[in-house]
Amino acid sequence: MKDKTVIYVGIGLVIMVILTLAFYVLTTATITLNEIFPITIALVLVIFALYVFWDRMKNIRKGLPVKDERIMNISYKAGYYGFMAAIWTAVGANVVISILFNLELTASHLTGIIVMVSGLVFAISYLLLARAGDKTLKEE
Amino acid sequence: MKTRIKELRARYNLTQEDLARKIGVRRETIHFIEKGNYNPSLNLAHDIARALQTTIDELFIFDEK
Repeated sequence: MKDKTVIYVGIGLVIMVILTLAFYVLTTATITLNEIFPITIALVLVIFALYVFWDRMKNIRKGLPVKDERIMNISYKAGYYGFMAAIWTAVGANVVISILFNLELTASHLTGIIVMVSGLVFAISYLLLARAGDKTLKEE
Repeated sequence: MKTRIKELRARYNLTQEDLARKIGVRRETIHFIEKGNYNPSLNLAHDIARALQTTIDELFIFDEK
């Protein structure tokens, strides 16, 4: 019952975020670079949250648990990859952007990029580990 | 590491979902253990062995490398 409540509250929040984003994008004439980062971050989080809720709902309907030790392990592993990505982005983003685009990033842009990259890496690694399993175990 | 989970499941006529429900994990966890893409904890290995009425060393085959 608790799991179901969490899912329903989560889905409600996701719908509100989507509506807010849609309203914002539709009413804004031009979207600047400062607005692209938060919009992208919100979109990544929304899509990832929708997948997680759908996956949990599927298991609840079958009478299976929403979390088990494998899900906890892949969450930790994806969290580690996201953290490493955040560190390397903090170190390298400014250098790469200045070489490629000859631009100097502000602190807020850099923060946006770090959050976006680490969030994306977390989401992608979580999805890959959840759908395909840990293939590295076969190489050990 | 190889496992005999699939073989024992077939013996007791259990699907991956039945076994998952019996030990309280998700179906995918059983699937990945069978394929060798996930190494279960000792507790989970014990639960699976118990559900399939065998022992851990009968259920999991370790490479002697």
